[in-house]
Amino acid sequence: MTRRFIVEPRGLASLRLRILVPVLSVLAALIVSGVFLAITGENPLAVYGEMIDAAFGSGRGISETLISSTPLILTGVAAALAFKMLVWNIGGEGQFIMGAVFASGVAIWLGPGAPAAIALPVVIVAGGLGGAAWASVAAIPRVYLGTNEIITTLMLNFIALSFMNFLIFGSSSPWRDPAVSTFPSGRPIPDNARLPEFFNRLDIGIFIAIVLAVAAWWLIGKTRWGFAVRIVGDSPATAEYVGITVPKKILAVFLLSGAAAGLAGGLFVSGPVGALDPRSLDLGLGFTGIIVAALAGLNLIAVIPVAILMGALNNAGPSLQSIGVPTATVTMMQGAILIFAVAGEFFIRHRIRRPKREPEAEGLAEAATA
Amino acid sequence: MGASEHTGRTHPRTTYEDGHGSRVSQPNTEAPAVELRNVDKSFYGVKANDGVSFTLARGEVHALLGENGAGKSTLCSILAGLYRPEAGEMFLDGVHTDFKSPKEALAAGVGMIYQHFRLVPNLTVAENIALGHPDTRTRLDHKKIQRDAFDLGERYGLPVDPTARIWQLSVGEQQRVEILKLLYRNARVLILDEPTAVLTPQESKGLFATMRQMAEEGRSVIFVSHKLQEVKEVSDHVTVLRHGRTVGGVATRDAQPTDLARLMVGRDLVLPTRKPNTTIGAPVLEVENLSVHGDRGLEDVRGVSFDVKAGEIVGIAGVGGNGQRELALGLIGLKTPSAGTVKIDGADVTNASVRRHIRAGCSYVPQNRLGMGLAPGLTTEENLALKAFGRPPYSKGSRLNASAFRDEGARQIEQYDIRGVRPGLPIRLLSGGNLQKALIAREVEMEPKVLILRSPTRGLDVGATEAVRNQALAERERGVAVLLISEDLDELLALSDRLLVLYEGKIVGEMPAEDATAERLGLLMAGQTEEASS
Repeated sequence: MTRRFIVEPRGLASLRLRILVPVLSVLAALIVSGVFLAITGENPLAVYGEMIDAAFGSGRGISETLISSTPLILTGVAAALAFKMLVWNIGGEGQFIMGAVFASGVAIWLGPGAPAAIALPVVIVAGGLGGAAWASVAAIPRVYLGTNEIITTLMLNFIALSFMNFLIFGSSSPWRDPAVSTFPSGRPIPDNARLPEFFNRLDIGIFIAIVLAVAAWWLIGKTRWGFAVRIVGDSPATAEYVGITVPKKILAVFLLSGAAAGLAGGLFVSGPVGALDPRSLDLGLGFTGIIVAALAGLNLIAVIPVAILMGALNNAGPSLQSIGVPTATVTMMQGAILIFAVAGEFFIRHRIRRPKREPEAEGLAEAATA
Repeated sequence: MGASEHTGRTHPRTTYEDGHGSRVSQPNTEAPAVELRNVDKSFYGVKANDGVSFTLARGEVHALLGENGAGKSTLCSILAGLYRPEAGEMFLDGVHTDFKSPKEALAAGVGMIYQHFRLVPNLTVAENIALGHPDTRTRLDHKKIQRDAFDLGERYGLPVDPTARIWQLSVGEQQRVEILKLLYRNARVLILDEPTAVLTPQESKGLFATMRQMAEEGRSVIFVSHKLQEVKEVSDHVTVLRHGRTVGGVATRDAQPTDLARLMVGRDLVLPTRKPNTTIGAPVLEVENLSVHGDRGLEDVRGVSFDVKAGEIVGIAGVGGNGQRELALGLIGLKTPSAGTVKIDGADVTNASVRRHIRAGCSYVPQNRLGMGLAPGLTTEENLALKAFGRPPYSKGSRLNASAFRDEGARQIEQYDIRGVRPGLPIRLLSGGNLQKALIAREVEMEPKVLILRSPTRGLDVGATEAVRNQALAERERGVAVLLISEDLDELLALSDRLLVLYEGKIVGEMPAEDATAERLGLLMAGQTEEASS
């Protein structure tokens, strides 16, 4: 009855292991994707070379990669914050869109006359508020009535998307550009509310995103409030027993999560996109944030490099078309990375070893059967 | 019921499957019912069974004695096919066997009753008995199963209504259903994992009679316990486990309780008991006509009145589920009482928040350590600060002070002898005894006026039990009002100055420690009034 391998839960995974496993997961995903590419007749190395070149090979590539990463850092923070608290907010997509709607709306309402020093902060805050407001639609019933936030946040994504489409395609709202009559598009945001660019097209949104991720990490890890939140996230029953008002904490984190996703939307419209343009915003950036958070192991700092990796992949996609590889390859690779990362979790939590037989016991067993 | 019929039913199989799927026939009838040789099994890299050998004869009640964590449950789970050992061999009637699942074990006649019952609450007794039985795959003959269940119950002294639903039954009745399930499958080896932990002394007596009867019919019974008295009373043979190894095996009639205790613990050990306290002060916790509604909306605590004085330990005895949980939650502010008042040191805290209770000096050690008392994923240092983190030294303004967590943590870990702590290690990976030491450390460090303990030594080994009892006595010495809510009569009798009995949400008896005996408490716990029993 001796077994060849034993799988057992691991007590505490070392930091080295916790870094090594995700890296190996990404490598494994690249190998599997490479096999797929080879089957379809491509040279995987050439494809990967092209992707790396597109993402990091030039100043322009790097700036485009970071532009793609900016919203992912924030939607990643949104998902990681919520999931840490066992709040399953998968409405990052909808909160992202509502953030964009609020931010662009406020920018248009302020008009080109307002000084940039006022317009810019107001617009950014409006993005966060928009996301938080949209999250509250799911958060308040969740906290006080016990509704299932997975379903409500998911549904609210579709409502937000339809609402944005309505503003641009279905009405002559202030968001719609009256100057263009051929194909409906968003009204350009006045320059005073646009994020300043400093490196090719890269704007200061990337700094806001990184500072926010670090601030969120500090808030959760280093403050009294954050400690209470971590207790709630670890065990709501225990939190209640030590005198923490659990619903208030859950509500606050849910709204913060929504605000981070909304901010991503706000920065996106006031940065690279420059208008509430459904074709530029409907990229699934909110959903990708969930992948980022999962890959980062819900670590708010790790979200930053993971988002840059995902941004690089997104950015490399279009360049593949120039060598005849469909852009969807990138989506497939992202999926493969997620699957391997989730599977890799198993190795962080468990160890596999061969049973050791003590020679003494073996001798005894033989003597007994003889 | 003829004996021949039993014998026929008891050994129905002549062929068994060995580990490779080939058939091996004709078991050796001289061989022991079960034999284990040099079995190893580890969890988290810790050997729960380390070269354990064990022989179970036919027709005996065999006690497995050992502290918690000694490897008794692991050994039983291997026998029952739930765990597969990493090394070693198992023989059933002399035939080499390797169970891949509990189903295989059951088919071969080996069944186990776990500490936590495996019953479906919404199904009837008969349905639970039929569940998973090979004959009932496609069609259920309810009438026949009910009749059979009833007959079996009559024969073995396990009365239970086959048409009742499980959730309607008491814990003792549910246990009978579990035994009937195994008998219905004609199990020849029955493993009972700490069956008396949930029973009153009177119910335990009934169970022992059933166990003896099963043994007389030629079935083998494994009885897991850490109570010497019970082992002495019911078993033919004792095997003692310590730290995953078999350290002794004797015929029960030759065994001296003190020898068994020494084998079990590895040293001479006398658990601390209270000395009469002459410095009992004024009432600190005063409860009047308290009623609390439980989660199901029923009134689970019904008009309870008592007080606990400074420097006094008051024990509340009762079978689990008689309102202990709701009483405790009502006292600490987690459930708002529907009637009555609770005062701490004269201040009315009946409707106050948990936080105000804590500030008023109310500490609570819940029964479910990882579920409620501790945050399992946080470190030991963080858990020690779980209640005090909002004030200095743990916090400066709104910021946490990491060095205070480290220093205070190190001090308490040292002072309360919490072992196994490593930096960054989630507390859930500590052993039960160390979890409880950490939990009690935190509650005691709050310098409470009232300390409420719920089953504080449940599941702990003797060493940790000793530490916890000493801690409770030290708090009493310090003038704290201690309320001990427990199902362990030995513990209640050893520690309490005064005893109350809780039955169906009411206090049905009160007595000073001097007048309390296990028998007297047992009768009250079973709902019998003192007049009726005397």
